[in-house]
Amino acid sequence: MAFTLKFAGALAGSVLLASAAMAQGYPDRSISMVVPFAAGGPTDTVARLVAEKMSADLGQQVIVENVGGAGGTLGAGNVAAAEADGYTILLHHIGMATSATLYRNLAYKPLEAFEYVGLVTEVPMTIVARKDFEPADMAALVTYVKANADTLTMANAGIGAASHLCGMLFMQALEAPIVTVPYKGTGPAMTDLLGGQVDLMCDQTTNTTEQIKGGTIKGYAVTSPARLDIFPDLPTVGEAGLGSMEVGIWHGVYAPKGTPAEAVERLTASLQVALADPGIATAMAELGTAPSPAADVTPAALQAKLEGEIARWKPIIEAAGVYAD
Amino acid sequence: MDLISNLTLGFATAGTPENLLFCLIGVILGTLIGVLPGIGATATIAMLLPITFQLEPVSSLIMLAGIYYGAQYGGSTTAILINMPGESSSAVTAIDGYQMARKGKAGTALAVAALGSFFAGTVATLLVAIFAPPLTIIALKFGAAEYFSLMLLGLVSAIALAHGSILKALAMVVLGLLLGMVGTDIYTGTPRFTFGITAYADGLNFVALAVGVFGIAEILKNLEGDQDRSVLTTKLGSLWPSRLDLRRMVAPMLRGTALGSALGILPGGGAILASFASYTVEKRLSKTPEEFGHGAIEGVAGPESANNAGAQTSFIPLLTLGIPANPVMALMVGAMIIQGVVPGPNVAAEQPALFWGIIASMWIGNLMLIVLNLPLIGLWVKLLKVPYHILFPVIMAFCSIGVYSVNVNVYDLYAVAGFGLMGYVLMKLRCEPAPLLLGFVLGPMLEENLRRAMILGRGDPTTFLTRPISATLLVMTLIVLVVVLLPQVRKKRAEVFSESD
Amino acid sequence: MNTINKTDAVAGILFILIGLAFGAQSLGMELGTSLRMGPGYFPLVLAGILILLGGCILASSFKSIDEEMTAHAWRGMMFILPAPIFFGLTVRGLGFVPSIFFTTLIAALASLKMKPLAALLLSVGVTIFCTLVFSYALGLPFRRFGPWLSFLGM
Repeated sequence: MAFTLKFAGALAGSVLLASAAMAQGYPDRSISMVVPFAAGGPTDTVARLVAEKMSADLGQQVIVENVGGAGGTLGAGNVAAAEADGYTILLHHIGMATSATLYRNLAYKPLEAFEYVGLVTEVPMTIVARKDFEPADMAALVTYVKANADTLTMANAGIGAASHLCGMLFMQALEAPIVTVPYKGTGPAMTDLLGGQVDLMCDQTTNTTEQIKGGTIKGYAVTSPARLDIFPDLPTVGEAGLGSMEVGIWHGVYAPKGTPAEAVERLTASLQVALADPGIATAMAELGTAPSPAADVTPAALQAKLEGEIARWKPIIEAAGVYAD
Repeated sequence: MDLISNLTLGFATAGTPENLLFCLIGVILGTLIGVLPGIGATATIAMLLPITFQLEPVSSLIMLAGIYYGAQYGGSTTAILINMPGESSSAVTAIDGYQMARKGKAGTALAVAALGSFFAGTVATLLVAIFAPPLTIIALKFGAAEYFSLMLLGLVSAIALAHGSILKALAMVVLGLLLGMVGTDIYTGTPRFTFGITAYADGLNFVALAVGVFGIAEILKNLEGDQDRSVLTTKLGSLWPSRLDLRRMVAPMLRGTALGSALGILPGGGAILASFASYTVEKRLSKTPEEFGHGAIEGVAGPESANNAGAQTSFIPLLTLGIPANPVMALMVGAMIIQGVVPGPNVAAEQPALFWGIIASMWIGNLMLIVLNLPLIGLWVKLLKVPYHILFPVIMAFCSIGVYSVNVNVYDLYAVAGFGLMGYVLMKLRCEPAPLLLGFVLGPMLEENLRRAMILGRGDPTTFLTRPISATLLVMTLIVLVVVLLPQVRKKRAEVFSESD
Repeated sequence: MNTINKTDAVAGILFILIGLAFGAQSLGMELGTSLRMGPGYFPLVLAGILILLGGCILASSFKSIDEEMTAHAWRGMMFILPAPIFFGLTVRGLGFVPSIFFTTLIAALASLKMKPLAALLLSVGVTIFCTLVFSYALGLPFRRFGPWLSFLGM
């Protein structure tokens, strides 16, 4: 049924499109929202939520196109090189900032190749450990890790992944050189944490919430500035004296450089409408996050965020000495 | 009993007219797209996934599961009919299935594949329903060392995939392992063998490799000498399996189901091994191992059952832990999250209707698949009568679209051409592609787990022997090596003196 | 029976060459130690094994009978292999519809049995079918007509 509906809708849409193409302003056809990661991942989920609401507001389909690969730089590169007509946009996360340092020969310049549409959401992270890990709370964890750093292992989902970034921050804040164990993606890393094969991980609430609630892993702290509603008992890293570890996986929407100003304005307005939708707030709350406040859903806020984050991560990544190219 | 009430709930959920309809649509769509040559299960699901997002959570997942089974079966169909596997598992089916098709027994091969899949699906679904939680505990005992030993066992089994020279088969496995190394090293971020092309940073695309070395090489072979021949070498035989065929498939089907169910539980890539392992077992146990590679019915029945059983039980880590075991499961997790159901260890307790509904729909999906496909076999087989010079341009068009749609990466298309040439040259040199494919899928996992085991074991190589499961697997590897190699060596010696094939 | 099996000899040499190519590249990477393997370690070991196996295949070729090689599919290679490459080069620029049309047409030329008119008809048919199924029904995010054709007013 969905099939035939879609089919009929598409046919009808294309007929309408042809006749109305000249009469209407932007957008007069569907917009492709590139997600530089595979379908089904956390970023893809955010994109699909937003795309659905934006489609309703714009009166045109916003189609999510997954162009995964090379830590998000392939998809971002595609959009940077795409026609700047407002019909190709990019939804990317914090990787936009870290890839500027992690990849030493990017095909595009992150600060010069895009127009900014706005911030979307900032997903907090959680410090977690295998369920039988000794320390009882965050304070005990800090002492324990400092004392036993060389016997501990910390999983991450690969270079440049959220868990890798947070892991670097964790080790830097505690000055503890823990052995890093990289995996191909969050799934296998989480499996080994559940099985007790590795000790620690720091990952987005999207991936950890249900496991912490289910008692299959142990939660220690959240990396957001304030405690989260879903985990009132977990302290923030700031409370634990690790303020430098505050981090969120922020997502932003971009358009290729040179996209007409009115198209960008329309997109920003539409993104604001989409994020104000109560349905989005509910869906995001399930994932342990929330839509960015309207003040941040602006080109200026996204630009400031990107510039600030590139500057923040450059020394951290260079100190770790690990590059992804 | 809990199980009864749970299953009742499941069937009540999956059995609503609406959900039955979505399951049916999923199975039909999956089969129709999956049966297009060059478009395997991965590509099919990537294409059809967005359709399911508009539905209710339960309906959406039921439909997705239907698509998954349909696509898998569709993939096996193209593997059998035109030697075009879109998945590592159907690559095994292609070995003997395609030979059966050439001998006019395509109908039998398809029917055997369908019956084997259905039987395996039924048993594995029951296993999932009864034993999911305890099986999960076993799965979690598998760490890097265990996976490494398991992969090693799988590799050794690969020798049996070849029906020609054992040396060449080994060389093809190693070549596959090396091709699997292409891409960014996950431990250091160093790009390896990518020629500086960022598009290959995540490795070469499996679909591109499979389509190239199997499908395109086969097309080129059929175009040799400017006189294209048809796929069929003899007249089309009976559509249905004979009584003898059915009797021959029972034991392989049972063994395949057991093997596949066991391997599918392991989230770190066990299901990939299922069909390969089953093929090895069947070839070893067969009284006529020389038939393998030339259209042995056991070589289709075993792997197809193993594959479907593995596909079923690989839902276990997803359902009990919320952890996807393969890219398809990852897509299902994505679909769940979009529906507002965040999968985790509590899904069964918090969403019993969803959990049991999916399990019930697995079986319903398998049932629909067989009801739908047995009558269609006649139609598929007729495809073989299409003149080859009309068939292959169509195949090229579909496989271009299929390969491209997996990652929207044009370099994958260039890789298809490269692998097509490579596959053709190797075929001319009498090197078979199946061991290459197994090497390719196992290579990255083998290295990854070896290095991870060494990191976790603090650089102590005895970690492989001191961990009991790993040690057991290594002993099994040794036994398989001896059992597989001995007769081959003897046969080789005999061959030197007699005429080679 | 002292003839050389040319098939095996060529295969052996090919595997040795591939092994050497991978091996040489691996040496350019950090090798590490057996306990702490670098990115080059595992590929180097594999390349070594491949060279060894290639050597064995080459050696065995001297002891067996030569087999006749079948004709080469030159025309097939000339048209089949460029088809997916053409699709890759043009799917974004020309757009899905013209790109799949020419891809099918190029592939169709690989057979001598295919008359020009039949090839054209087949390509049109495949194009219509693929556009309806993949672009309209499944809604895959491909542009039907790409920017290279914008001068046509599409």
